[in-house]
Amino acid sequence: MTETAVVAVRGLTKRYGRVQAVAGLDFDVLRGQVCGLLGPNGAGKTTALRMLVGLIRPTAGEARIFDRLVRPGVPELARVGTIIEHASFVPHLSGMRNLRLWWEAGGARWEDADLEGALAVAGLGDAIERRVKTYSQGMRQRLGLARVLLGRPELLLLDEPTNGLDPQEMRAVRELLRRLSDAGVTVLLSSHLLAEIEQICSHVVVMDKGQLVTTGTVRDLLAVSTSAYFEVDDVETARRVLAAATGVKRVTDESPGLSVELDGAQRSALVTALVNAGVAVETVTARHQLEDAFLGLVGRHTERHIGKGA
Amino acid sequence: MVRLIGTELKKQALRPRTWVALGFLAVVPIIIAVALKLNPPDLSRGREGARYFYLATQSGLFLPVAALRVMSGFFLVVVICMFAGDAVASEAGWGNLRYLLVRPVSRGRLLTAKLFVAAVFAVASTALVALSGLVAGVIAFGWDPITIPIPGLSQSTGDILGNLALAIVLITWGLAAIVAFAFMLSTMTDSSAGAIFGAVGLYIVSLILGQIDSLGSIRYGLPVQYYDAWSDLFASNKFTDDMWRSILLQVPYVIVFCGIAWWWFHRKDIKS
Repeated sequence: MTETAVVAVRGLTKRYGRVQAVAGLDFDVLRGQVCGLLGPNGAGKTTALRMLVGLIRPTAGEARIFDRLVRPGVPELARVGTIIEHASFVPHLSGMRNLRLWWEAGGARWEDADLEGALAVAGLGDAIERRVKTYSQGMRQRLGLARVLLGRPELLLLDEPTNGLDPQEMRAVRELLRRLSDAGVTVLLSSHLLAEIEQICSHVVVMDKGQLVTTGTVRDLLAVSTSAYFEVDDVETARRVLAAATGVKRVTDESPGLSVELDGAQRSALVTALVNAGVAVETVTARHQLEDAFLGLVGRHTERHIGKGA
Repeated sequence: MVRLIGTELKKQALRPRTWVALGFLAVVPIIIAVALKLNPPDLSRGREGARYFYLATQSGLFLPVAALRVMSGFFLVVVICMFAGDAVASEAGWGNLRYLLVRPVSRGRLLTAKLFVAAVFAVASTALVALSGLVAGVIAFGWDPITIPIPGLSQSTGDILGNLALAIVLITWGLAAIVAFAFMLSTMTDSSAGAIFGAVGLYIVSLILGQIDSLGSIRYGLPVQYYDAWSDLFASNKFTDDMWRSILLQVPYVIVFCGIAWWWFHRKDIKS
């Protein structure tokens, strides 16, 4: 583990009988990083996060936070803000009462909580005094974020933090995470929303079938595989020109245009080639970058997995 | 620990279900008092239980005894099992257990606090039946001592109140094995109904097995075999051997069930 690793995972494994939920996971999250945990459903992301906070005991390997081996109830958890799966509360109590009882259960004085900051994040207004069972999922999720921030955490472990939020609220959460990151808070979050990860995260950990597929910066991951989308006046000629260009891996129809998987080619060079061939280029976009990279990585991992099994 | 117990007490005290259950326990003795006032029992035509109702009309101080006699057989058991069976399972069912544990609250401290709160509400439930019965009885039938020329039955006001306090302790502790079983189940499931009915089931099965003479000495080890022994306080005005047996019989059950609960909960993967 490096000196500044806030989260260090080594050979982390969880088996349920014959089912391998997480297999030999290794990664670090350094202080101040915003790291995305990516993977398809069933990849083991939530199980890994649960092991990071001592809710699930690993079958093998270890997880450390703030250089302390994670065990159930380890005191370092007081420096961590956690949302796992979805924010849950005692339904018959008000939002405010829930926040207070949760805070005091840890033995702390209510006066020491950052209530003002938390309520600003929750943005629930008078509804904070209503019973939680009357809340929408989005309101619960916002209250969950408020609870997380009561203790001014140094590390956030968030599992799908924007679940149930509308687009405006999602944007507010992204801005919040950016602000917290700027203030030195380390964030590890899992999300199905790749665009969200791309916008928020500096680093990613990609998992599939319980195993680590890759880890690195978002920029590195995008360099692995990028794609571009072209809309042109002559699709047939454009397909021929693009397929013949160096640094192009694959050209596929994506009506009304063409999707081009790049393998080193610059988009500007491809535009020049098309124009020189007499093709008018109406649109060029670099889109679904992380999605392409993610699907490419997971697809290759799955192929290897099947190949090993065959 | 005190703060944690405080939060758990508030959580239980502010639950509507708690108030419904306690309200029910408080109302039944009042209903009994009204029924007896309107229809005084005839001892000559009564069954075994009628003696308690008759004595309640002789002195209101005896009405809580009659109420406890009626309610300790089932309703009180269900309510007490509810507090114990709900303790951990409802928290898991709400999905809130994981957030308490990452607060962090150590698993041992959480169990201790929850068991303590379940015990407090168990004692409060029994005491509430007695208190409600006492108030309703005194209003309806006065607070004269029982003066019947049968040894043990005649008791002064002080005797009755003292025995009543002792009865509350004996009844509640007499259910300790069942409560511990409910608590153990509560750590194993996310369904509080499952834990509550499991414990009530153990109580009923124990009662049934206790009726089968051919089981011989096995019956004497059943958790509620001596549960009714407290009523001897009002028949003989003595602390009998069966009361001691009832107290001591709970100890191994409580140790085993609570021990399993601790062991299980410390090893458990929290997925809810």
